[in-house]
Amino acid sequence: MKNQANPWLTSNLLVLGLGMLPAALLIAALLYFTAWAFAFSFTDLALVGTKAVDWSWVGFQNFERLFTRRGFLESLWTTVIFVFFSALVGQSVLGFLLAATLRGTASRLKSVIEVCIMLGWLLPDIVAAFLWSATTSQTGLINAIFVRPFGLPPINFINDYALPIVIIANIWKGTAWSYLLFSAALDSVSREVVEAAKVDGATPFQRIWLVQLPIIRPHIATNMLFITIWTFTYFPLIYAMTGGGPGRQTETLAVFLYNQSFARGNLGFGSAISVAMLVIVGLLSLVYLRMLREPK
Amino acid sequence: MESNATTSRLTAIALSFMAVIWVSPFSWLILNAFNPMSTGQLEIPKSIGLDNFALAVSGNAGRQFLNSLLIAAGTATLSVVVGISAAYPLSRLRIPGRNAFLWTLVLLRMLPSAGVLVPLYFAAQRGGLLNQFGVIIALTILNLPFTLLLLKNFFDTVPIELEEAAYVEGATLFQIVTRIVLPMSRAGIAVVWFFSFTGAWNEFLLPLIFSRVQDGFPMSVGLYAAFGQQGAINYGFLTAFSIIYAAPAVGVYFLLRRNMNTGFAGVGVKG
Amino acid sequence: MLKKGFLTTVAALSLMATAAIPARAEVTFMYPEWIAALVEPGIANFEKESGETVKGIKLPGQGYDQRIALDLSAGTAADVNVMDSFMVSELAAAGYLEPIGPLAEKWDQYQYYLPGLLEVASYQGQVYALPTDTDVRMLWYDKSNFEKAGITVPWEPKTWADILDAAQKLKDAGVQYPFQLPAGTKQAEAATMQGVYMALLGADVPEGDRNRLLNRETNQWIGDSPALRRTFDLYHQVYVDKKLNPADLNYATDIGAAVRQSLADDKLGILASGSWEDACLWDCNTPPSREERDAQVGWTPWPGSGEPGAKTTTNISGGWTIGINSKATDKDLAFKLVTAIFDEANFKAWTLSTHRMAVRTDISESPEYMADPFLAKATALAADTTGRDTIPGYQTVSALIQQATSDILDGVSVDEVVQNYHDALVDEFGADKVITYE
Repeated sequence: MKNQANPWLTSNLLVLGLGMLPAALLIAALLYFTAWAFAFSFTDLALVGTKAVDWSWVGFQNFERLFTRRGFLESLWTTVIFVFFSALVGQSVLGFLLAATLRGTASRLKSVIEVCIMLGWLLPDIVAAFLWSATTSQTGLINAIFVRPFGLPPINFINDYALPIVIIANIWKGTAWSYLLFSAALDSVSREVVEAAKVDGATPFQRIWLVQLPIIRPHIATNMLFITIWTFTYFPLIYAMTGGGPGRQTETLAVFLYNQSFARGNLGFGSAISVAMLVIVGLLSLVYLRMLREPK
Repeated sequence: MESNATTSRLTAIALSFMAVIWVSPFSWLILNAFNPMSTGQLEIPKSIGLDNFALAVSGNAGRQFLNSLLIAAGTATLSVVVGISAAYPLSRLRIPGRNAFLWTLVLLRMLPSAGVLVPLYFAAQRGGLLNQFGVIIALTILNLPFTLLLLKNFFDTVPIELEEAAYVEGATLFQIVTRIVLPMSRAGIAVVWFFSFTGAWNEFLLPLIFSRVQDGFPMSVGLYAAFGQQGAINYGFLTAFSIIYAAPAVGVYFLLRRNMNTGFAGVGVKG
Repeated sequence: MLKKGFLTTVAALSLMATAAIPARAEVTFMYPEWIAALVEPGIANFEKESGETVKGIKLPGQGYDQRIALDLSAGTAADVNVMDSFMVSELAAAGYLEPIGPLAEKWDQYQYYLPGLLEVASYQGQVYALPTDTDVRMLWYDKSNFEKAGITVPWEPKTWADILDAAQKLKDAGVQYPFQLPAGTKQAEAATMQGVYMALLGADVPEGDRNRLLNRETNQWIGDSPALRRTFDLYHQVYVDKKLNPADLNYATDIGAAVRQSLADDKLGILASGSWEDACLWDCNTPPSREERDAQVGWTPWPGSGEPGAKTTTNISGGWTIGINSKATDKDLAFKLVTAIFDEANFKAWTLSTHRMAVRTDISESPEYMADPFLAKATALAADTTGRDTIPGYQTVSALIQQATSDILDGVSVDEVVQNYHDALVDEFGADKVITYE
């Protein structure tokens, strides 16, 4: 519908072009900087020391090591679990359900819920990590309410269930974003359409599934892309909570990347890891892009 | 309608239950913040006091608050202004491959900012931008792919018929954008602005690296005053400071939310 | 990664920029927050004496290492910088630091620095920074738990077998963390220093640096040796075979607090750590009195493995330093600031009040310092100490060691861990820089 020539656009092409100029400049800068990161993956660049100044090209060596050295494949699997459960299942579904349920209601309850999930989002990562580690510790809230009153010995959650705990913490921390986006998107679905569906006798479930979801499909795809990227690269919460441990139980690719680039100081290998992550998410996003297309 | 009463009651109960679960971990934060002898454990304080808050607002906190506000609001505003002026043409003009282009940009942002940090720093230094303005520009650059894609999606949902109608009535491009497109995507713009705001509000590494003087640090850097050398953490300071630190952003959210209702029907009738 | 020409342009530009803003010469100084009590009075004295102004920038400890490396490589660093001693050789190798020796010739207090500690801040025979403090490492133990397990106090283990034996008894007596031996990447440098290196030094004879990570004669990293295998085997016994300690303290969100809490709750048997523990022990808010400390905890030097010819006790030291930027405009003035900070009165007051180990004989031999029974006794350990392998690449090697201990916690065999470690060293430094023993 927007592909036909529209006179107020065609007569102002110059203005529109000028409007795009600042963004184009900044995007060019971004491309320039990311080109560096790409180039680094083919070098033995180090963070400090002589190889920080005097580096050399090493071809695909860094990429070979992703598969011949311990760490990458293990971390990839951990990351897939982490992203699937905390971002796609947790944040996205929960965020949408909340947005759909609270839509249009201006009750006090809505405000309370919003404050609750917004506080999680706005709390600095490092503090959120302390908060969750205190909540799940042997003297923490969960043990105090659900375990000890029943005479059971306190459970050392971080030691025994590290991955589920960081997944829950991440859902708690990140749902606000999906909620916000879906709220705004549902808001742009015109009320008349929903009312019309209601008059036609659609159940609330049908109204969501058949009427609202198709309209906000682009937002769903975008949201999936964003939270996949963020969760794939999300680092501070896990790092502060468990540092990737015990052993390597919660070592996601982001933590692995950090350990290789900063602790070990191998920026070349680190860049290769991030390029590999990019390729993986790039393939995933093809799936999301299909969601953007209109169904027949 | 009447059959909905029980359903909505059930929903309300479920929602309240969720709110309780969601908010319960904060007990740790509150208990420690108001406990002058805080140890970082979950325990009922022997005495309650505001000592931690007094400590948190002493020193550089006021200055840091202003810096945080400047960086966050500056980044958000710049991102949105630059983003709108590019996203509208992107949404309306037939530019081949624009979706793929925007998605690629977003994907490229996956490369860790750590890898980008070094060249970014050298560039900022050459441009004389090792200051807060430099932080704002750098964060805007890093935000732009997300901002563009989101704003374009929101503009896409504005029906072009309304713009046509306005054009027929003699509105200029500027009027069409400011009177129709922007008001109708107000919720989306608010989300993008708020997202950029919170991202910049929590940014730690860029301001730390860019600022040449101590007075240039925002609150995200000030938070780390809680960490001593041998891992001895001042939990009282940490919790009190983070409450003060998170509060303005929550406030900003509620200020924004009031204006977020797009008023779809109203605009439609007038158009 | 940037060409020389570009670097000089950048440096020239930054010089112009610094020259353009303030009219007068000034010294810039960057330091982490925790050391403020030492440097701030020093700066004040310097400003009073010289009439110059110092532009200080105080940073949080978080991100400090990253910033200093970036600042020095971009030419935007302060004239004088506080840095961790393990960074000195890397930064000096890249040409970012000014040798201290020539500047210090005329300073009468330079002679008091302990040579071993100056060596830690040296590169290719030149001193590049002056140490602010140091530490020694030892095994702390909980006396009440030892009595419960029927082990004689004071505990004086002679070999690793004695340690494992005690840990087994502690475990049988129901102690939750019988032997907390730092391991894993989250412990970072603590796993290397407090754990691996302390064991490694006593795992084989010192000849040919067979008990180290590096052969210091040839500057080759040791990729496989009996000492490495014995050390990793010790970890394997503690964490996997005999299950003498759960792993979780090594991954706590706040490791320090978690360790202190388990000490306070009498859940800890033996703790491999260092002299700094004495400042806090189990409560940092209200540190226990000397009597309370002595009643609850004791410490003993790390024993050697018991292998013939190996050291009977081991020790390794670290610490922080202050160094001068090689691009500083007025290096003599910068050094003057350093001497003002390290001036005996100021330095001694800080060392005593923060309970740190002295790095200079004029302070360590002073009556005030000797009056502290813990410091006096711990300083004796410093007589036979060593430093990290201060050649560029140490940081990388240390990270690889930490990853190796992580893998052991995951149950990987010693053979495989050593193989991985060796391969990673070859990846980083090339086959000619890596040797194996036996």
